[in-house]
Amino acid sequence: MTLTGEFFAFMSLALVAVIGGVLLLNLTKVIHMVVALVFTFVSIAGIYVLLSAEFLAVIQVMIYSGAITIMMLFGIMLTRHHGDDAEPKGGMLRKLALLLGVLGFGAAVYFGIYDLDFQAVPNTLHENNTEQIGVSLFSHYIIPFELTSVILLAALVGAIVLARKDDEKEGDQE
Amino acid sequence: MSSVPVSAYLALALILFCIGLYGALTKKNTVIVLISIELMLNAVNINLVTFSKYGVNPSITGQVFALFSIAVAAAEVAVGLAILISLYRNRRTVNIDEMNQLKN
Amino acid sequence: MENAWLIPLFPLVSFLFLLLFGKKLKEASAFVGILLTLASLVYSILVLIERFSESTFKAEAVWLTIGNLELTAGFEVNQLNALMLVIVSLVSFLVHTYSKGYMHGDERFPVFYAYLGLFTFAMLGLVISPNLLQTYIFWELVGVGSFLLIGFYFYKESAKAAAKKAFIMTRIGDVGLLIGMILLFWQTGSFEYDEIFAAVEEGAISGTMITLTAILIFIGAVGKSGQFPLHTWLPDAMEGPTPVSALIHAATMVAAGVYLVASLFPLFNASETAMLTVAIIGAFTAIFAATIGLVQTDIKRVLAFSTVSQLGYMMLALGSAGYVAGVFHLMTHAFFKALLFLAAGSVIHAVHTQDIEKMGGLWKRLSFTGPLFLIGTLAISGVPLFSGFFSKDEILIAAWANGNYPLFWLAVIAAFFTAFYMFRLFFMIFSGEARSEMKNVHESPSVMTMPMVVLAVLAVVAGYVNTPWFGTFLGDWLVEGNEALGHGHIEGPGWIMIVATVVSLLGILLAWMMYSKKSISRDWLSSRAPLAYGIVKNKYYIDEIYNQSIVFGAKAISLFLRFIEVFLVEGLVKLTTAAVQGLGKTGAKIQNGQVQTYGTIAFVGLAVLIVIYALTGGYL
Repeated sequence: MTLTGEFFAFMSLALVAVIGGVLLLNLTKVIHMVVALVFTFVSIAGIYVLLSAEFLAVIQVMIYSGAITIMMLFGIMLTRHHGDDAEPKGGMLRKLALLLGVLGFGAAVYFGIYDLDFQAVPNTLHENNTEQIGVSLFSHYIIPFELTSVILLAALVGAIVLARKDDEKEGDQE
Repeated sequence: MSSVPVSAYLALALILFCIGLYGALTKKNTVIVLISIELMLNAVNINLVTFSKYGVNPSITGQVFALFSIAVAAAEVAVGLAILISLYRNRRTVNIDEMNQLKN
Repeated sequence: MENAWLIPLFPLVSFLFLLLFGKKLKEASAFVGILLTLASLVYSILVLIERFSESTFKAEAVWLTIGNLELTAGFEVNQLNALMLVIVSLVSFLVHTYSKGYMHGDERFPVFYAYLGLFTFAMLGLVISPNLLQTYIFWELVGVGSFLLIGFYFYKESAKAAAKKAFIMTRIGDVGLLIGMILLFWQTGSFEYDEIFAAVEEGAISGTMITLTAILIFIGAVGKSGQFPLHTWLPDAMEGPTPVSALIHAATMVAAGVYLVASLFPLFNASETAMLTVAIIGAFTAIFAATIGLVQTDIKRVLAFSTVSQLGYMMLALGSAGYVAGVFHLMTHAFFKALLFLAAGSVIHAVHTQDIEKMGGLWKRLSFTGPLFLIGTLAISGVPLFSGFFSKDEILIAAWANGNYPLFWLAVIAAFFTAFYMFRLFFMIFSGEARSEMKNVHESPSVMTMPMVVLAVLAVVAGYVNTPWFGTFLGDWLVEGNEALGHGHIEGPGWIMIVATVVSLLGILLAWMMYSKKSISRDWLSSRAPLAYGIVKNKYYIDEIYNQSIVFGAKAISLFLRFIEVFLVEGLVKLTTAAVQGLGKTGAKIQNGQVQTYGTIAFVGLAVLIVIYALTGGYL
């Protein structure tokens, strides 16, 4: 392993991503948590760049760092969040069990991947990455692509219905 | 060829996945639970992209799948937040431990 | 005759029908029971008449096949069976009718009729069984019917105890019967009466084995027929309603033991020892129960001990090779004892007490029951011209002819006692002045008196089917075509009849002098021999002896077992329940409805699996 720019870039991006995750777990205010996660999302975009997926990196920044985070912030603002700091009672045992489970799971998976190395195959992913995705998406994966549009439509309609119904109910109550 | 081994990427994805999992199962605030799930999905995406480049048979397919995954995640967040808000309107809380209708 | 199997089915239909619809029918259920038993009765009589001209009919179907062994079920109509069918269905019909008046107003009226139906079914089934196994099944069913009816007033402690006692005491006998039956099956490979008799005749069974099986089966009969030493349940069984006492504990069920011995007569006859045992037990029971009957003051108990005594007579007859005499007495006894019980029921119905010390002077007030009771009393006492006279005479002759002179004299003394205590009973109830205030004494309704009249007629005339004067029709018919049963009529010296007459008249005279004319003080005997009086009064302390020995032993064992139960078994049980409860409580806690808890559990489970896989050598 040589110390190259790629290595440094990876290490710093990974560090930021993990720190973002850890902050998510440890911060107390909801807004701070979400903002901490933005770091993680952005550094994941950087990782994508390292992995010759420039288009995905852009999408990652737009969707996660942009859209989803903003939606989450809206969700937080539309709801009340005082006194959330108190941890659920009697959850200590569950947390401990979960921690052990997660650590065990992580260790087991790491045991499986730590010396994983495939024969490196030269590839051309970095050349005209967006064009390659576009060609693949609109030729080979055209049906899943169309289905995705149906899913998004369903999600759109569902979200509207869920929100509106309750509006009426609330109106009735008041 | 590459100075960063493939296992490093996988390990990063694993760590993020574990953080997301832990958060999803321990956090009290439903918004944070949703975000933690997003984090887990991201970790999966990293894996997909990694294998797309360094896998046994590198191809663009992994990236396309990651794209689909992101689209589905976006839809999921939209619906999840809608449910969250309607729940909030009914119960005046976003604490997940007070949402125990499954018990009844 | 081919359809004789229908006879037991009528009461069964009655039982099932009343079980299902009794609640709605209320007292109308009586008609269902009466009509269906009447059908049985009519059919039985037809079968009996047909049997006079035809030979034994037997039909069987294979019931179970085990290897090359076939168990059959079916029915048989031979002389004894046909006669028993008529006796049982007749008494049952009359009791059904009588009960309509006696049980009037009882809350569980339909249940009573349902039980009666069950019992009648079982008894009729018992008498037409062609093999021992079927007999045993109905034998037990009869026991169940008896249990239910004795415990009919189950809210009374004593009735409950009596029912249990009857069930347990007869069970002791049943064990003997069962073992005897199994031994017979082992020896002959068949439960069929015919095959057993054939095997006995051919000498396929060793003499000792015949004696053993015969005595074991006799133990079953002892239990059912209330012979010494298993007699104690029968007097207690009087806790049941009086019609039940008449039906079960006088006329039919207790006669089942006698019937069993009679139908297995060829087996018994092949063993001297067995016959002697039967005769001795019978004679001893006859005199033993008669002495107890002398001092009892409960009207039904006197009759109960009288029943025990008369059953002893029948056993004595059978044991003395007097097959005809035994069956004959079984028949006449069924009639006059049923009459006596029904009449006693009528008296109880009128005065609402069973204590004869409190009765008296009822002759005028019960102008119908009185004469009927008198007829029954005369019949049982063996006064000439009544049915009991002829059958008792037959028994005495049989005992004499068999050479059992001591037993013969015992029987004569017992006959004297019988006459004495029966008339003591009669005089104390009907003659003299009322010994306590009797209000509302009224004659029973005709639905109760009519059955008694029928029985009274039979109690008078039933004897004439088999007399030394007008021919021994019944005896000849009973043994027809079957040499093993002995002769239809056994010749005996003529003085036996005179002796029997004299002792019965003496007994009556003594009773009259003591209880009616009072020329002999009532306390004459009890004041002179208080010890003997006390012993007899307490029924020879048999119950107490059983309590002290058997019951005490059983209690000691059960106490020991209880300790095992409490500390060993219950400990284990509690441990198990605690474990299960703990598990359940933990499970309930986990089921708190929170998605995160569920997720945690699911994930931790998955993680454990994955870790196990990793540690045991890689992923599958």
